[in-house]
Amino acid sequence: MPGSTTLHLKLHRPLRATGDRPAVRRFLIGSVLVFFILFLLLPLVVVFQEAFSKGLAAFVETFRDPYTQHSIVLTLVIALISVPLNTVLGIAAAWSVTRYRFRGRSLLITLLDLPLWVSPVIAGLLYVLVFGAQGWLGPWLREHEIRIIFAVPGMVLATLFVTFPFVARGLIPLMQAQGMKEEEAALTLGANGWQILWRITLPKIKWGLLYGVILCNARAMGEFGAVSVVSGHIRGKTNTMPLHIEILYNEYQFASAFAVASVLALLAIVTLILKTRAEWRAEQELRASRPSITP
Amino acid sequence: MSIAVKNISKRFDSHPALSDVSLDIQEGELIALLGPSGSGKTTLLRVIAGLEFPDAHDGRILFHGRDVSGLSAYQRKAGFVFQHYALFNHMNVFENIAFSFRVLKRSQRPSESVIQDRIDGLLRAVQLEGYEKRLPTQLSGGQRQRVAFARALANKPEVLLLDEPFGALDAKVRKDLRRWLREFHDSTQLTTIFVTHDQDEAFEVADRVVLIDKGGIQQTGTPAQVREHPANDFVADFLGL
Repeated sequence: MPGSTTLHLKLHRPLRATGDRPAVRRFLIGSVLVFFILFLLLPLVVVFQEAFSKGLAAFVETFRDPYTQHSIVLTLVIALISVPLNTVLGIAAAWSVTRYRFRGRSLLITLLDLPLWVSPVIAGLLYVLVFGAQGWLGPWLREHEIRIIFAVPGMVLATLFVTFPFVARGLIPLMQAQGMKEEEAALTLGANGWQILWRITLPKIKWGLLYGVILCNARAMGEFGAVSVVSGHIRGKTNTMPLHIEILYNEYQFASAFAVASVLALLAIVTLILKTRAEWRAEQELRASRPSITP
Repeated sequence: MSIAVKNISKRFDSHPALSDVSLDIQEGELIALLGPSGSGKTTLLRVIAGLEFPDAHDGRILFHGRDVSGLSAYQRKAGFVFQHYALFNHMNVFENIAFSFRVLKRSQRPSESVIQDRIDGLLRAVQLEGYEKRLPTQLSGGQRQRVAFARALANKPEVLLLDEPFGALDAKVRKDLRRWLREFHDSTQLTTIFVTHDQDEAFEVADRVVLIDKGGIQQTGTPAQVREHPANDFVADFLGL
């Protein structure tokens, strides 16, 4: 009887709209869990285990090394320059594509993602082609004694390129979903463009923005490929933490390599916690902006 | 303040939202723009407000005989109430209403005690005394709508424009707010235009009703005139006559 079958299904399969059989479900969840433990969680544990394999003293000693210290400082400097710049650029980009209608708008939205689908190594090589000694601007730069490639400015540029999409990508869907009624209300109440940005838009998007900034920062500190191409690996001058880890590893200083790596891994964990929190708050932000139909 | 709309057209991409619309509104009138969704009534309201700009032909908007076509929304001194209130969720009720004072240049901004008095008066007018410190999310829909009214009225606009002001409210609250709007208008004589798709609302509240369909005005008149002499098939059909 069709009626009783429906009832049976309703009683015993309340949570599955997909109709997957239990075996399928268990297999899928199981394989995701195995993958997660084997390829993500275990390596993370190993990083910390290796970092302390020669004891706490050796771990501390790694950070007494001036080259290590310099790589940490340089990583922070590059992040401190590129993250604020990309935050401003990201807000401007998200504002433009969600607030204005113009020719080429959808192309621009697609191109915002360019750094995500171009290999970072290619990004680095592009900068060498433009700013390197044999590059387009090479002769002019040499004349004016400006060093970009194999120097910190080039590393900042490469980082800017690689980390550009994160803020804009985080904001565009949020700003699209929120709409701009509050901004229009502010306009009718006499606010100018800056006042609308500071008093209305930024408070509306602050958690979504923080989410983008956190991801941007994580990538800026962890970036290897693009930065590696333009850095020249000059110890104490153009080595960031990821590059320094590679050098230490290649010199068989495993404990030191993993000690520095553990700092980066720790950063990743903190990022993950902050990101989850920002993500949750961004969702609240979105929900609060939705009109309610209650009396 | 009287309002004159002269030969306004507006296209979105290739779709015409308003075609050659003209309308005269007398000082102190309470007007309903009535029509089905997609008829262009909200676009007309937004063009009057300065939130949307008409296609550049010879269309004009006059406030009290003065051409305001080139003025911003704020310079037109029109208070606007949005369909879903558009309150600032991160500000409490007091700061929402005070917003139009907060964005003034310091030299033009009234003193804090003047602002306080003004907002006390507005809260009394919309029956929300004691709610200053609440956040919009802690209010009911009807209360939010009244905050939106108070905010639009704070800097003494000369025209009040309302986009589906009661659209998102339940029947009981809706009826109360309708009566409140009528009484408020009778006591202030503020020229008011509101958009609605609900003919009962339009006929109960408005002095004159403007029926809109397919981007054009189909008929203008008092509720009695419109009901007794529908100008065309659309009006008769829409009103269910």
